Amino acid sequence: MSFRKRNISLSPGVDRNAVPNATAHPAAPVSTPGIRPSPDDGRPTTSTGTRSLDNLLAGHAGLPMGKILLVEENGTTDFAGALLRYYAAEGVIQEQKVHVIGVPEQWGRSLPGLIGSVESLDEKRSDRRKDDRMKIAWRYERLGEFGAVAGSRDAPNNHGEQDAAAKEAPAFCHAFDLTKRLTHPSITNMSFIPLMPSRESPFLAILKRLQTEITSSANTIHRIVIPSLLNPTIYPPNACQPEHVLQFFHALKALMSAHGTRVTAMITMPLSLYPRSSGLVRWIELLSDGVIELCPFPHSADAMATSGAATSQEEPPQGLGVYSEPPAIRD
Amino acid sequence: MPSQPPLPPLLASYVSNLPDSSLTLVSSILGATSNWLVLRFLHAALSAPNPNVAFGSDEPQNGIKKKVVLVSFMRSYEFWRTEAKRLGLDLARLADKQQFAFIDGLSELFYAPQATSTPPSISPAGLGSPRTTLPMRSPPGAVPGRSPQPVPTARGVRGNVTTKAEPGIAKKLQFSGRGLASLDALEKDISSVIEQQKSSMEDGDELLLIIDQPDLLLAATGPSMGIGATEISEWITALQQSAHATVLTLATDAPLIQNASTSDVKMATPLETEHAALVIGLAHRAQSVMQLRTLDTGAAKDVSGVLRISRGGGLNTSEKENLEEREALYFIQRDGGVRVFGRGES
Repeated sequence: MSFRKRNISLSPGVDRNAVPNATAHPAAPVSTPGIRPSPDDGRPTTSTGTRSLDNLLAGHAGLPMGKILLVEENGTTDFAGALLRYYAAEGVIQEQKVHVIGVPEQWGRSLPGLIGSVESLDEKRSDRRKDDRMKIAWRYERLGEFGAVAGSRDAPNNHGEQDAAAKEAPAFCHAFDLTKRLTHPSITNMSFIPLMPSRESPFLAILKRLQTEITSSANTIHRIVIPSLLNPTIYPPNACQPEHVLQFFHALKALMSAHGTRVTAMITMPLSLYPRSSGLVRWIELLSDGVIELCPFPHSADAMATSGAATSQEEPPQGLGVYSEPPAIRD
Repeated sequence: MPSQPPLPPLLASYVSNLPDSSLTLVSSILGATSNWLVLRFLHAALSAPNPNVAFGSDEPQNGIKKKVVLVSFMRSYEFWRTEAKRLGLDLARLADKQQFAFIDGLSELFYAPQATSTPPSISPAGLGSPRTTLPMRSPPGAVPGRSPQPVPTARGVRGNVTTKAEPGIAKKLQFSGRGLASLDALEKDISSVIEQQKSSMEDGDELLLIIDQPDLLLAATGPSMGIGATEISEWITALQQSAHATVLTLATDAPLIQNASTSDVKMATPLETEHAALVIGLAHRAQSVMQLRTLDTGAAKDVSGVLRISRGGGLNTSEKENLEEREALYFIQRDGGVRVFGRGES
């Protein structure tokens, strides 16, 4: 029996020790609230404001910095818009700079109200049916909940300890109430970038503004929120020409990769207007880092019966989340 | 799981020793990206010959040095550098040794950050003039919007913008203007880097050109800007001429390929028809086509996707025996290692 470890290839030149952490993402300031390293490979991530969505993001338990998450939705419901509001609200709470594109400031006033950090709520979960948080019946249960290990599973045993821990560490993800309105001092800090009608690409002005705001503030974390991309009530008709929207996505991707530790973006798109079977949408998906498609069930009483995921304790699922690309897994 | 050799043995003969003036097509779809395969091409060309490589992979012998020029339209240098490091390739060092050059087609292609940069140089006279004679090709009116052949607008072509000295990046491409003139400017930028690499080459050395997703260029411009499949395809041909071998990665998602053929049910958009024309045209010209796709039966824990290697249309009969067609599964591990194996093997 030799004492040498097996499974170590003898090829020279590869520094084995360096490999596991070789995804040397320039470390974001560790103390930044709202950012934590991914349990998967240590890259900095931030919360989307919805913990069940965080847990789906390819084991990172959050949206990795520098990535674009595209949420597509079928039908006339606006679950994607709700997700987006949670994402924006989380950004406000974490005092990140939130840029909202194409919608008036009214949108910012309808952000969901804060209940508390997710961790502190976990304890109450057993007492109270939580009707207020948006829940999505994701299919991918085997993707473990990162936060849950420290949270709900241990909760029955050591309430006190956990409580203290929750107070100590700044919360990563908060819980929000869609029926309330968010009030937070930094809510006025959100910037709304309107669409200017122009003969050229309507996105040029947006890019210019994002570029200057992101490069000018070297230490803030930014969130780019784009509700209902290409929706004709918001965007001018020429926006959906491939040379405009795809160039915008490409430039956005370039911007994100240039400031890879400080920016995330979440974009929603109505699939009823732009079906996934079209080449344009496919290119938009290829240019995003993660794609999630929401397929809401037709609202009916038998929704409960059709889904295996629903238990009597939980709300019936309102739709199915299908993800086409493991979001941001390794590009 | 044991760590994998950087170059899976099954793959070795396909990614190394590409024949002279060959074109290899790597096709990918959403969810089955081609990055890992591009990295294997890089590794096959750039890694130092080493006695531990698997049998059957003919590593560069008798002093043939290989160089690589990588043009990437979708990913940053940072990405390629970190991913290559996991394979034991130090791209920064290789770039210093003039073995590798990276051309950045992402960061400034359509939108240059410093908006106050150089005002457009006034008509560099030579820039579009060789092509002012209309090339004979494509029946008129094949593509709506392209029929008035774009007059090369030399204005606004920022051909030789002095790029900031960023380590590792040989050049940042910038697209400006429209039509052939803008493609010519890009071509000039890329060939200048290729020439620079070639200047330090000896006889017998080989230069591999990898263009990552040139189809983006087509999708994000399109016929309305005077660029169609024919133009891109000729652009690639021009670049091919200066390289020993060329590898292209292209997207072949069903919406991009199939919409163009189902003619009457639904009108295909110019984006779709042009993309299909480009990909199919290139596949007919290529010597080999490596197709990546996800499993038809859904996601699996130990399989990332299917790799199909087939002969391209450009292969002549004598070469056909050399290229064995095959289909294999691949699995990308968490550490970046890739296993390639046949169906049923584990």
